[in-house]
Amino acid sequence: MDDLGFSADQVKSNAKDQARLDKRSHMLKMHQRFGLITAVPLVLTLFSGGLAGEHSTSSGGRNFHAALGATTVGLYATTAYFAIAAPKFAGTPTRGPIRLHKTLAWVHGTGMIMTSVLGMMAYNQKQNGQRVHGIASAHGAVGGITAVAYGLAIASVSLKF
Amino acid sequence: MRLPVAVPIALSLLAIVPVFPASAAGKDWQLQESTLTYHVSHPLHESEGVSHAARGKGVCNAGQCDFLVAAPVKSFDSGDSNRDLHMLQVTRGAEFPMITVRTKVPENAASSSSIKLDLEVQFAGHTVQYKQVPFQIVVKADQIRITGTVPATLTDFKIDPPSLLSFAVKNEIPVRLDMTWHQ
Repeated sequence: MDDLGFSADQVKSNAKDQARLDKRSHMLKMHQRFGLITAVPLVLTLFSGGLAGEHSTSSGGRNFHAALGATTVGLYATTAYFAIAAPKFAGTPTRGPIRLHKTLAWVHGTGMIMTSVLGMMAYNQKQNGQRVHGIASAHGAVGGITAVAYGLAIASVSLKF
Repeated sequence: MRLPVAVPIALSLLAIVPVFPASAAGKDWQLQESTLTYHVSHPLHESEGVSHAARGKGVCNAGQCDFLVAAPVKSFDSGDSNRDLHMLQVTRGAEFPMITVRTKVPENAASSSSIKLDLEVQFAGHTVQYKQVPFQIVVKADQIRITGTVPATLTDFKIDPPSLLSFAVKNEIPVRLDMTWHQ
């Protein structure tokens, strides 16, 4: 083995790196699990959007939609944490479907923040008896785009294109 | 009276002795190029990881050659860096960074177009024997190309099957070897 020409670094066992790999895999498994769980309230939030547009200033449907949205954001943040905090390995360039997954994360990450802010604005406007107006009226569209980007992000690492 | 006879004999022996190491060295084999490919099946994916980083040698003695082929686990490239790092984790590639394959081949094996070999594979901290694995042999000038597939499985090496969306990969992970050796 010694005279095959491999460097000492190549053949040396590295328990520390193995521990980091184990931690990375565990965290990404949690990322995957929470990501799938998050998809459930996300879809329900989309479908309950129709209940939030009533003229009543204390709409139960609106509160239900808001509660689902808040649940989605909480689970989404947990999902994101596991991906962001997972150990990184220097010198390992990102290649393959994971590149699209990460690019889409920027889209749905931004979308999730914007949807929440716009949703709160729309909620307050409705609570004050106003019609949803201004930038808040983009809440539904931004939420839809966010959901599509999220679905594509899941598909990008689940299906082979 | 005997001395003049013994001297030429001794001289001729001295002349012959250096020939053996040179001859033996000429029969050793070096791995010139190689492609090692593992195949993994998942209900949603079929994927392959390829390594060209293997190195190997074959030392021949008394009609038999001992071959050793080794490759770093991290040298396998599936085209997906996330999958490669996960593969490295499940196979404990940082703890056991090398895959080695050892086998014995009769020195006259190049005279046939196929051969069955007993392999000893060290991987993921375990050593597994594969008996009578068929290989094809193509001889070209001073090169020999050997191809075959090691019928490896995850359970052979006590590797927990990775899963995606709760579906585990299949237990079979055949590894195709395509190696060109030269003397």
